[in-house]
Amino acid sequence: MKKFRTAALAALFGATALAAPAHADVKIGLLGGVTGPIAAMAPAMIDSANLAIQQVNEAGGILAGEKLVGVVGDSACNPQNGTDAATKAVNIEGVVAIVGPHCSGSVLAAANSVTIPAGITIVTPSGTSPEITSLKDNDTVFRTVSSDDYQGRALARTLLERGTKKVAVAYLNNDYGKGLADAFRAEFEEKGGEIAGFAAHEGEKASYRSNLAELASGGADTLVVLDYGDGSGLTMLRQALENGFFENFVGADGMKSDAPIKELGAENLATFLASAPVGEKSDALEMFSKAFSDVGGDPSAIFVTTSYDAAFMLALAIEKAGGDKAKVAASLREISSGEGEPIRPGEWAKAKELIAAGKAIDYKGAAGDHNFDANGDVPGAYALFKVTDEGFEVVTEMK
Amino acid sequence: MGALEIVNFYLVPGIVVGSIYALGAVGITLVFAILRYAHLAHGDLATLGAFLALGAVTILGVSPYVALPIAMLLTAVISVGIDKTFYAYLRERPKIVTVMASLGVALMVRSLVQVVWGVDSETYSRGIVRPENWFGIRLRDREIVTVLAMVALVLALQVFLKRSKWGKAMRAMSDNPDLALLSGVDNRKVVTLTWLIVGGLCAAAGVFLGLNYELKAMMGWTMLLPMFAAAILGGVGRIEGAVLGGLIVGIAEEMSTLFLPTEYKAATAFAILLLMLLVRPTGLLKGKVL
Repeated sequence: MKKFRTAALAALFGATALAAPAHADVKIGLLGGVTGPIAAMAPAMIDSANLAIQQVNEAGGILAGEKLVGVVGDSACNPQNGTDAATKAVNIEGVVAIVGPHCSGSVLAAANSVTIPAGITIVTPSGTSPEITSLKDNDTVFRTVSSDDYQGRALARTLLERGTKKVAVAYLNNDYGKGLADAFRAEFEEKGGEIAGFAAHEGEKASYRSNLAELASGGADTLVVLDYGDGSGLTMLRQALENGFFENFVGADGMKSDAPIKELGAENLATFLASAPVGEKSDALEMFSKAFSDVGGDPSAIFVTTSYDAAFMLALAIEKAGGDKAKVAASLREISSGEGEPIRPGEWAKAKELIAAGKAIDYKGAAGDHNFDANGDVPGAYALFKVTDEGFEVVTEMK
Repeated sequence: MGALEIVNFYLVPGIVVGSIYALGAVGITLVFAILRYAHLAHGDLATLGAFLALGAVTILGVSPYVALPIAMLLTAVISVGIDKTFYAYLRERPKIVTVMASLGVALMVRSLVQVVWGVDSETYSRGIVRPENWFGIRLRDREIVTVLAMVALVLALQVFLKRSKWGKAMRAMSDNPDLALLSGVDNRKVVTLTWLIVGGLCAAAGVFLGLNYELKAMMGWTMLLPMFAAAILGGVGRIEGAVLGGLIVGIAEEMSTLFLPTEYKAATAFAILLLMLLVRPTGLLKGKVL
């Protein structure tokens, strides 16, 4: 009874208070790999999400002048901790939405066991696995980073356009390699290309000559290596070059590393191409970079733009949904549908007015426009690179 | 697929990698025979040896072949130091304690390599080497050197064990340490000598691995399982058995891709190890211990 009375009183005060400070905070979860394998990247990512929250609070706060609060949780880049952190955020902290988790494995586990059943919207800034696309998520799982599926398909189309019709594919036997390879194969075969060899390999072996001989027996002269350039990808590239198994080599972002140039020499890599995501220059990116530099952050650090966008978009969606967590997902689509008044990073006051007036807004983020597709994914911008004496150089944009 | 292709792309790489496994397996088998435990830091000592050679190559500007004896010597001395610092205290305790200690040493040695040389892949010389054609068989100089060096080192070790006084002492201690002690063999000196030889062989395995492929902080650790498989396959305590085992494991790994999906290549050494322990735990040539 006493609790009820307190609640009733609070509601009364809340309704009547006009210029009074916020009566309750609106919490969003910031789940990241604070410990674990991406511990070096996570702090900057969380800082940039916090920048978005700070900007919201400085420009009038969220809803009826309430404060937006980020609750940091450690998903440790593994499924177990991802689930624990999401459970704590949803059930104990009572967050309205979540930015993160950071790694694909954590995202899949946290979404399946916690946030989808609870109906909480999550936006991951760095989970790239194609598996996330096919989650049965009732439209609550989004990402501001593009799926490796896009890269695999874009690479397939680009190769076909360049006249490469027959390739062999060697991929590292993990989530990264397999996701990319499957996407590449699907698109390449659909568009009329021929896959003359398709094989996984375990990393860190000394010799891949027999693997390469198997792949080469299909008769292709181009090898697509979906691996890491610091690891077994380098070994494969070296042994393929030395033994003349293939003439042309193509890699994805994992292979766009300095190690092959350093160890094999640029002169031997004239026939090597690698795809990688590229940032699109925009006003939005500049606005973010300036704001993030002002608070002491490094705007060129990896995944900071996607983290910032995820947090800012969730704030906009919460505002649009009137704080109703069940409506956040639908609102997230509305504030970035490609139609309406453009809103760029930091323009919170303007967005708030437009939302209050019932006008459509369209967020143009630091990392891109973020017009989500049916699966909550965003397309990415990629380019194909070649090796020159100075390092990697763009050959062509990839569509 | 022609016979030449099988030789070039399956047999030759198998023999080269098998020779490297053999060098490691000989060391493992010596530790097993004389000290009676499984030495899990073996792979990482090989890594250390390979990186010490890299140090010699970069600092002195010599070729990797000149750096090889330097690395062997340094690693031998370091091995003795590791034995004196970590294993000597545990000599009288159950052997499993030393095995666990060697796992700790493995982690320490690997961390040391990562602190000094970093975690990136390295090579002794930049660029690529295309093989020369010997009547259709494609071989590189370094591959021939690897196999010949392995044979020479193993032959020298065999002669030393069979002919020299200290070699005989080592064999005596392997047969029965207490009896050897009573007969006037200084066990501590034999242990030191064993570590000198084992450390040198470790470094040789690491240098040849780095010479033929790349230098990575994890390179030795990933070789540990095939090396143990080779030692057990050949019969623990038998030098010639370790060589035979190494070659069989190396060739089997490469040949496996003819019959199995390539992602199962890494499992070949496991399969051989399992099968051998089930069917003939004493190894192909009857081992002296186990």
